Amino acid sequence: MSAKQEFNNRISAQRAILGVVNKKKSVAEELFSLSSKAIDRWVSENRLDPHSQLVNLVREASGKLFFLANKSQEEISEEYRLVSSEVAAICDAIAEQMR
Amino acid sequence: MTHIYAFGSLCRGDVTRTSDVDLLAIVDGYDERFEPEMFSIYSYSRLREIWAEGNPFAWHLSLESKLLHASDETDFINALGRPNAYDKCRQDCEKFADLICQAEESLAGGNASIVFDLSAIFLGIRNFATCFSLAILQRPDFSRHSALKLGPKQLEIAPDAYATLEAARILCTRGTGECLTTERVDLTKGEIPRIRAWTKRLLEEIDEREAGI
Repeated sequence: MSAKQEFNNRISAQRAILGVVNKKKSVAEELFSLSSKAIDRWVSENRLDPHSQLVNLVREASGKLFFLANKSQEEISEEYRLVSSEVAAICDAIAEQMR
Repeated sequence: MTHIYAFGSLCRGDVTRTSDVDLLAIVDGYDERFEPEMFSIYSYSRLREIWAEGNPFAWHLSLESKLLHASDETDFINALGRPNAYDKCRQDCEKFADLICQAEESLAGGNASIVFDLSAIFLGIRNFATCFSLAILQRPDFSRHSALKLGPKQLEIAPDAYATLEAARILCTRGTGECLTTERVDLTKGEIPRIRAWTKRLLEEIDEREAGI
């Protein structure tokens, strides 16, 4: 996988998760990104239960994506693929929660 | 072994209220003390690799970093000397132009995450301009507003649209700032064709430079 694909996939993965979360229009404010500060704001502005399954899944996805961005972890392609598939699974789980 | 450096605006001295504090941790392997959202975390071997690649981040660190802590009292980055010449400008700029393109498509497709897409466009134009300044102008600009500092090659964009893109970036990274109004979003969307034209023009210039025209 080229560096270009990796970079844009990380953005794409984030966009996909945000798309699922933000599909629900009944909240006061959208989730802007998967940075921890953006998640904190989303939880606070929408008065979400910080211990709910949805919030936990979003934080888990955030952690995985920051792992992908963390260049100190040895970038073994097998490990990268594993994390990518875990992010995809979390995205599916979030979609379930949003139903 | 551990080295910690500050880099970016803090070292350039162009600090504003919205400046990031950029910190780099160089570690031997996984080190749980360092929070990835607070530090850029690199292994010593990876840093040597990006120096050999002539990567823009290596140039950034080489030109704009300051040692804060060294467990062995050496200045690791200084000892690396200057990175190799940067020769992947075409490839990198194309990558950032693609990023802008994808965000534009996402916005056009009615994506519900408008702020995220506008933030991705800001990231794309900033990184595009930095790579261009390093390789073509040979006057590297690593600042957040590098796209506005390219002299005659700079991005021409309505100031309110540019400010909206920057505000989106800050909402995404720091979760601070006011929500974007529909008017601001619409104005900014209207400026995307100018951004695309700018990346196209500069990509052509890179091609001409590489072809020796």
